[in-house]
Amino acid sequence: MAEVEYSTTAKLPVETIWDFVCEIDNWAAYMTGYQSHEKENADDSVWVLKGDVGAMTRTLKFRVHVTEWAGPERVTFELEGLNEQMSGDGEFVMQSYEDESAEATAATTRKGWLQRAIEAVVRFFFRLFRGRVERAASADAGPGEGMARLRFRLEMRPGGPMGPMINAMIKPAMTVAAEDLANRIVGHLETERPGSA
Amino acid sequence: MGGTPERWDLEVDVVAVGSGLGSITAALVAHDRGQQVVVLEKAPRLGGLCGYGGGEVFCPNGPHMQDIGQADSDDAARQYFAFLGAGFNEPELTEKMVATYKEAIEYTEKEAGVAWEAVEGLDDYYYPDAPGSNTGRYLAVQLFDGATLGEWQQKTWPVSPHFPPAATHKEMYAWGGLANVTKWDYELLGQRIAADQRSFGPGMMGWFVKAAMVDRGIPAHVETPVRALVTDDDGRVVGVRAEKDGNDFFVRARKGVILGIGGYDHNKPMATMYEEVHDWNSATQPYLHGDHLLMGGEIGADIASVPPTNLAMFYGYNIPGEEHDGVPLWRSSWECGCPHAIWVNGQGERFCDESFYKDYQPRIREWNGKTQQQENLDVFLIFDGNYRERYPLGSFMPGMEIPEELAVKADTPRELAEKLGIDPTRLEATLERFNAGAAKGEDPDFDAGHFSWSNRLAGDPSYPNPNVGVVEKAPFYGVKLAPVGVGINSHGLRTNTSGQVMHVRGHAIPGLYAVGMSAAILDLGGGYQSGTSNMRAITWGYITGRHVSES
Repeated sequence: MAEVEYSTTAKLPVETIWDFVCEIDNWAAYMTGYQSHEKENADDSVWVLKGDVGAMTRTLKFRVHVTEWAGPERVTFELEGLNEQMSGDGEFVMQSYEDESAEATAATTRKGWLQRAIEAVVRFFFRLFRGRVERAASADAGPGEGMARLRFRLEMRPGGPMGPMINAMIKPAMTVAAEDLANRIVGHLETERPGSA
Repeated sequence: MGGTPERWDLEVDVVAVGSGLGSITAALVAHDRGQQVVVLEKAPRLGGLCGYGGGEVFCPNGPHMQDIGQADSDDAARQYFAFLGAGFNEPELTEKMVATYKEAIEYTEKEAGVAWEAVEGLDDYYYPDAPGSNTGRYLAVQLFDGATLGEWQQKTWPVSPHFPPAATHKEMYAWGGLANVTKWDYELLGQRIAADQRSFGPGMMGWFVKAAMVDRGIPAHVETPVRALVTDDDGRVVGVRAEKDGNDFFVRARKGVILGIGGYDHNKPMATMYEEVHDWNSATQPYLHGDHLLMGGEIGADIASVPPTNLAMFYGYNIPGEEHDGVPLWRSSWECGCPHAIWVNGQGERFCDESFYKDYQPRIREWNGKTQQQENLDVFLIFDGNYRERYPLGSFMPGMEIPEELAVKADTPRELAEKLGIDPTRLEATLERFNAGAAKGEDPDFDAGHFSWSNRLAGDPSYPNPNVGVVEKAPFYGVKLAPVGVGINSHGLRTNTSGQVMHVRGHAIPGLYAVGMSAAILDLGGGYQSGTSNMRAITWGYITGRHVSES
């Protein structure tokens, strides 16, 4: 099992994020390695992504089933590999937020030295990113005024005898993917919001 | 090529072009002899083709054979290299290589800290038939800790798509070999991958890059392809014109330039012409374009060759959607080392010992002079339900559905043949004939399973003949195969016993050296053996590193 969690903040009302996130088409292309997606109904969609597995890139096909639309705070989903022995689940959580000191976290269930190093790098880039976003955002949204935290969690469970090895091989790519998705969504909304630079 | 630039962007004693074993070894030796060295690499990572390979170094009578209690002799080594050369080698080069390789490998161990160990029980390809053949002659590295590479950790290949990540040779065989990959200890491998413990080629190049770039601080530039050699008015190579960030980057080499940039696997016109195969594909990283032949040719370097028919090339396939570095990933097919699988050509007939690539490789190019066709280019891997219950196809483990784009599936051999476009009656006859022998663990037609190397590396040790088993249980599968190169090329720059590149007029080109696959493999001649490429890369890197330092 590989689990990664990433959160970032936005000077936006939580409802604004929800309005964006609840429509898959809005953010699908922000998934790292995105190739295509097809909505089967309100809750189910099939995704095609290119993902790094060790030294190679593989085209992965998943069915995603949303198990809970709990707007404006939460979307939870499950996923099933259609061409790989893999399953998983995850969630978007949006919360009103007033504590500016909190930082992004990238957590895994087993924290070795490598994972701690990855987290340190993630925090570094997060600080850079946040600085850039805050400079781009309008100055009239002060602390505590319409701020939200967006948290994205993804857990993947590779199956078959090689599962533990695949697990180790996909974890770095998952960390980057989770970070990218959360930051791209916030970056998009921060840039698009009325009055932004 | 041409005159010196108005301004050099960098001036050093030695420019090592490429970052595989040959270049890095030459860089190490030259540095240790007081030279200022820089390494220029076209790819975004250091390690070259060697960083993607099996990491075996063929070292007869080498320093670690006594660790496993295996006796050997230099005479036996010479006999075996003469057997491999088959008269296509140049004796002076062979003798220089044979006389130097142990010294060179010991240098990498004692001076550069590369942790070699013997691979016990892995035989020479032709053991015991060939004169001088033996077992236990391969070296491989101990696990390498990627974290020790510092800034180069992310600029080297941590794993290869072609070899088990983070497993050692010893473990691979102890766990049952490639045929038993479903039974390996993946918990252990997962822990090692998470900790960036490297093995095989990535591990080997980790040790070398650490020795050169970390321990010695030899500077290296990735994504800096060398485009041309710079010569002075006397024809001496005095530097290179590289490309860095889209601009010319002129580097002066006061002593010499060493070309160690692999072969031409990704220059399809060149590979097609030199390797005599129309349908050319490659398992290597997409940075091998034959630049050494272009740049050398521009200044009159002699291009030499050995017959391409018996080097290292495989049949293989691309799993739809699999890529590496932005190009399709071609895998060598080892499936036919397992029981319950055969290959047939477009006529539905077997044509080789599928378990021993040295037997099938020459047959890839076989001409039918009456039909003007290479009849073994259209080849199909055929396997049955027995195979599928036990063994993987690439990354598709038993129990996983194989996509139709990769494997055709049918209930009977006749139906399979019709789907593949093979004569059904011939395929049925082929299977009937094969199964009659396979039921007894025999292959009277092609003697599959003859060599212990094939048994050990690709076969299933639980079978009387590890490489042979009947193909009779539905469902039946067929996979279209194509020739796949692995970076071992027949053509290269002609070099002398000092590693200097020779001019077409017969003299050495001052200031220019070639190592690894950039140098024609006239030292080996008409044959090939796993680990010889790495051995000769280290050996000629060592020789050129010394020579350029003394020039």
